Amino acid sequence: MCAPQVPFVRGGAEIFAEKLVDELRAREHDTELVTVPFKWYPGTRVLSQAFLWRLLDLEESDGRPIDLAVATKFPSYCVRHPNKRVWVLHQFRQAYELDRTDLGQFDESPQDRALRRSVQRLDQIALGEAKRLFATSRNVALRIERSTGLAAEVMPHPPQELPYRCDEYGDFVLSVGRLDRAKRNDLLLEAAALDPTLRVVVTGEGPDRERLERIARERGLDGRAEFTGRIGEAELASLYARCLAVYYAPIDEDFGMVPYEAFLSEKPVLTTTDAGGPLEVVTNLSTGLVTAPDPAELAQAAGYLRSHPDEARAYGRAGRDLAAEVTWDRCIERLLA
Amino acid sequence: MRIAYYSPMPPERSGIADYSALLLPELEQRLDVHVVRRGRTRPVRGCDLSVYHIGNNPDAHGWIVDALRRRPGVVVLHDFVLHHLVAGLTIGRRDGHGYLDAMEREGGVVGRLLGHGVLDKRIPPLWESRPDEFHLAGGVLDLAGGLIVHSRYVEEKARSTGFAGPIWQVPHPAWPVPALVPARLEASPLVGCFGNVNSSKRIPQLLEAFARLRRGRPNSRLLLVGATSPGFDLERRLQRLGLSAEGILREEYVPEERLWSLMAACDICVNLRAPTMGETSGSVVRQLSLGKPLVVSDVGWFSELPEGVALRVPVDEREVDTLHAALELLAGDERARRTMGAAAAELARREHDLDRVAELYAAALEQAAGGEAVVNEVFGEVATAASEVGIGPGSPEATELARRLAEVELGR
Repeated sequence: MCAPQVPFVRGGAEIFAEKLVDELRAREHDTELVTVPFKWYPGTRVLSQAFLWRLLDLEESDGRPIDLAVATKFPSYCVRHPNKRVWVLHQFRQAYELDRTDLGQFDESPQDRALRRSVQRLDQIALGEAKRLFATSRNVALRIERSTGLAAEVMPHPPQELPYRCDEYGDFVLSVGRLDRAKRNDLLLEAAALDPTLRVVVTGEGPDRERLERIARERGLDGRAEFTGRIGEAELASLYARCLAVYYAPIDEDFGMVPYEAFLSEKPVLTTTDAGGPLEVVTNLSTGLVTAPDPAELAQAAGYLRSHPDEARAYGRAGRDLAAEVTWDRCIERLLA
Repeated sequence: MRIAYYSPMPPERSGIADYSALLLPELEQRLDVHVVRRGRTRPVRGCDLSVYHIGNNPDAHGWIVDALRRRPGVVVLHDFVLHHLVAGLTIGRRDGHGYLDAMEREGGVVGRLLGHGVLDKRIPPLWESRPDEFHLAGGVLDLAGGLIVHSRYVEEKARSTGFAGPIWQVPHPAWPVPALVPARLEASPLVGCFGNVNSSKRIPQLLEAFARLRRGRPNSRLLLVGATSPGFDLERRLQRLGLSAEGILREEYVPEERLWSLMAACDICVNLRAPTMGETSGSVVRQLSLGKPLVVSDVGWFSELPEGVALRVPVDEREVDTLHAALELLAGDERARRTMGAAAAELARREHDLDRVAELYAAALEQAAGGEAVVNEVFGEVATAASEVGIGPGSPEATELARRLAEVELGR
């Protein structure tokens, strides 16, 4: 099981890789997690670090053949193996949809433009070698097809295991995940600024925390916007269990486990029309509310859920039924078939 | 990134001018493109890369080759056979020696002697009689830092001449199908053929095959659209085959709107060619977009059209028989025509989509401008790391590293 490792950073992709190893082992497959540190800057480091995967020999270990290599995200899928299967969480997004945005990495110089194309070409070669290619969402599969011409099978993965439950539909909207700009927690804070009765709880750590806390201060959200930092599983499950709804609206997200986690806690999800992957499971007025990426609309949506708890419950339960369909048994059966 | 773009442009009447007019607006969304005015051969300052569209017509492309000589860059090779172009650039400029040198370079002493034969008017011009035997593309390929081609055929041809630079295969873009009303032409079926009417478009073979088809299918008609080439006596051929005005519909040059309307009216479109100059066909691309079943010669780019889209006719002694059989098959099977037409439209959507083609162009040009620097930097980093742990040049380990880099196109 091949997954890159960004030292001192832990998020959904890392949890996913470890969980997949556990699940494979639980089914008596002798499985080992192989990681290589990944640094994608400056300049061509993104390629030279990706190339490290190319030098690994995973065909056998200590004289024992390795039957299968499963890779998850860039650049681990550059690994060579005669039976390589790739379950793509995401490509190197700076080379694709994030290019020429605030979140991009490559400038307009000929070398940077060519570097971006080399990353794309590397994807085309490495993903093209896979015996089977899966994408964690339709959004990711579409991106792969657009950028490489390769067809990936859509296979969402189950969220992390927590003691999910629903205690109540409380008075706060919960945001879960790493705090970076792409997750757009600022939109939620701006919504709270427009509705003085809206309370938000933001979990997680990340480079955007300072900016978000500043926004909360400047908008006078004292006491209505709580930043918990990184929290344990029990506390996370408790927040899910008590919140009114879960906010999840990154820009054109690949997939994200948060909506599934919300659904397993029977909570509706608030998202936006440009969120990408989440829209595959969050349907307006069915499993949550989908608004324009606009604080006023978001505030209105949160207000609606607060004043319509029966609807909030119904959406959450519809989501729970959807999430129950995504199981490790089904995923692993397809992965190994 | 700024690109100097050399191409014939409308109102010049050329397929490549139409091609550039279609492509440029999409390309300009991705790159800063400076379209160089016709005739300017002095390099444009401040551009990161120059791209030169080159075809076989010396009037349209002579100045572009002159510009290429002053600053090498990426060549978009629309034809592989450039004999006519080279003849125009040499003999056409009273540079007989230049022509002889080009012929010798490709054909050795025999080539030079044949060149003398042409200059002395002892043999017919080779660009008309045997262009495929002497392509004369070497001079242009020498100046190209990279090639953009439209087919596997031209890529293989370029490689066979020893071209070692990067080659990008980028399909011909498809025009958006305009809102149109198919021309009202009574026929069952209506067979269309678009382009110059001459021998290299295999019109004699087509007329013969169609005459046979019409014997069994008196309601069938052949629509010929395009100018008749000088020296090609169409009338006499029609008379000899007994093809009256009733069986043949004839239009010379038609404006774009009428062209689409006529194509849309056809049940079957025939596109024959021999010898091929390595060209693609704008007509075929339009017909794919319209979802027409095709009959093509089994040569060059045309051979690369999938079987489910085009019936391919080998250019051999049985050409007329095969062509007749293909026409008969399609004429008698409406379902096959529909299936092939749907596959053609799907191919146009998938392969020739304008947005996709522009993206492939941008990728190629960006790699051409900065790719070498990227490869050098990655290669340098890997080489430094290798030497630090004692892996020296030429060692088996270094060879392995080089192979792995080459696998992902980061080799040098």
